Amino acid sequence: MKKVILSKLQLHLSKVFLMIFLRDRQSIFFSLFFPIIFMTVFGFVNNGQQEPLDIGVVNESDSVVAADFVQQLKDSLVFNVTIGTEGLLRSELEEGDQTMVLVIPEIFNTANLDRQSVELRILVDAAQLAQLSLVMPLLEQTLIEIEREFRETEPMFSLIIEDVQARSQSYLDFLLPGLMAFTLMQLSIAGSGYNIIEFRRKGILKRLFVTPIQPKDFITAIVLARTTIVLTQLVVLITFAILVLDVQIIGSFAAFFFVVILGTFIFLNLGFCLGSIAKTQQAAIMIGNIVIFPQIFLSGVFYPIESMPEFVQPVANVLPLSFVSTGMRDIANEGVSLLAIMPSLIGIAVWLVVSYVLATRLFVWKEVAN
Amino acid sequence: MPIIEIENFTKTYPLPDNKNETFCAVDNVSLLIEMGEVFGILGPNGAGKTTTLEMLEGLNDIDGGHATIDGIDVQSYPFKIKEIIGVQLQASEYFDNLSLVELLTLFGALYSRDIDPTTLLEKVQLLDKAKAKPANLSGGQKQRFSIACALVNEPKVLFLDEPTTGLDPQAKRNIWDLVQDLNNNGMTIVLTTHNMEEAESLCHRIAIMDHGKIVAEGTPQNLILLHAPEPPEAPLHGNLEDVFLVLTGHALRD
Repeated sequence: MKKVILSKLQLHLSKVFLMIFLRDRQSIFFSLFFPIIFMTVFGFVNNGQQEPLDIGVVNESDSVVAADFVQQLKDSLVFNVTIGTEGLLRSELEEGDQTMVLVIPEIFNTANLDRQSVELRILVDAAQLAQLSLVMPLLEQTLIEIEREFRETEPMFSLIIEDVQARSQSYLDFLLPGLMAFTLMQLSIAGSGYNIIEFRRKGILKRLFVTPIQPKDFITAIVLARTTIVLTQLVVLITFAILVLDVQIIGSFAAFFFVVILGTFIFLNLGFCLGSIAKTQQAAIMIGNIVIFPQIFLSGVFYPIESMPEFVQPVANVLPLSFVSTGMRDIANEGVSLLAIMPSLIGIAVWLVVSYVLATRLFVWKEVAN
Repeated sequence: MPIIEIENFTKTYPLPDNKNETFCAVDNVSLLIEMGEVFGILGPNGAGKTTTLEMLEGLNDIDGGHATIDGIDVQSYPFKIKEIIGVQLQASEYFDNLSLVELLTLFGALYSRDIDPTTLLEKVQLLDKAKAKPANLSGGQKQRFSIACALVNEPKVLFLDEPTTGLDPQAKRNIWDLVQDLNNNGMTIVLTTHNMEEAESLCHRIAIMDHGKIVAEGTPQNLILLHAPEPPEAPLHGNLEDVFLVLTGHALRD
């Protein structure tokens, strides 16, 4: 293997790029701000349990069974019950303050229940129908329990949920690797792509071109500086997530950051392509969005690829960010070794080669500089 | 002894409104620039001055002809050329958030040289601005800083592209002094300008370009003698601006 030696110039130029970045406080702040805010919000919102559903109950019956039923609903963690008249609750439902209104009829009493089945009316807002499918089984379950109690029958079945994963995993644990992959993509593309266009617009590249600097020195310096920046930012994020939000990383940090570095190289390469193709900052942002946006939604950053529609999955699975985020997540959440994420690594390797070839074809020093 | 030899330089571009046709931005230009002289290239906008310089500097492809600087072929050894020339471009900014000292040190590193930024800043009278950012310099200070950057490699030839355009008279004279001073120490300087007074007082020899061609070449004195409009009396009259207008016409250029 060829030994890679960094020249004094390459080191000096990387130091300069780092200095430029460090002095750009705004950019540092916002590149950390988004993922931290995002994680914190999800950390609090998604605290293990779901928000209780607001339901209104109109109790027209004065029977003990009805009161008992209402009490059971109130005791349930799933519901946040408001008792009131139908007129009042109906208007609350229309304003969206209630998810649904349950009307218990006057005939809901022991005597009637013995003879016939009693109809309970549910008022819903059509816009909330999605919630309905969630709530109905719960209501039915509660009613069945009352019925059993009333008829004094024992349930034939009972379900016991057993967690196969040794540790509990929150959405935040899932989110963190994805969010880190997303951050590394953004930082890398900005580092090579947007920066090059900015340097060119200012005439800096033209000025550099008339000095004896070789393009490889320039590229090496950007790669070195950006990789340092990405690693530092991700260490800050991961430290924050572990210390403040109690996120768990069970895999090896070395393996995790190995994937991070490979991912950074892919997106730096793609950034160099972007910087070479796009002639203006405007064009760069548009082309950049074409690269970035589909990956935000399709690469399993915020939710698993398996939960996406069948037909997008084949595309989603081969996006570079998918391989990177999946690899990082498998290591972070499941604690597997690099060997176990071979499919992701192969995908990453293919993208590395493809993006490298593209970047070297497109990045022509003289044309990029002018 | 010439340090720059240009033979039949040609550069063609497609016409902006008709891509199938081309025009010659630089048309068969040949020049000899002597070692140790200040050589001025004059011409209206679009005459091909900057393109000619950029072809020498390696920024622009040479479509026809060839050139050597200090005996080195410009096309074959671009990186050797870059080592011995200093370039001040018409408009260039620098990296944000870096001070003058840091930028000069960086430029030194680009030539693999450990330089002393303070000596250079002193030379261009910017020592008191050592910690300033280029964005906070005035127009004249920016130009002087650009020249300082072009000097880090102690070049044999210094190219200045319109170094005084847009400067106030004080700043302009200050640049002239600097150029003269550099030249007195033996540096060959090639500059482009629209300022006739500048050409007359700074340049040993001048070439006037128009439509990509050299229309006249010589010392300012000779050009005035040869081309200035004949007045009714007095042997030497008119000035270089008259020469320029006679040679290139009064029509406005873009």
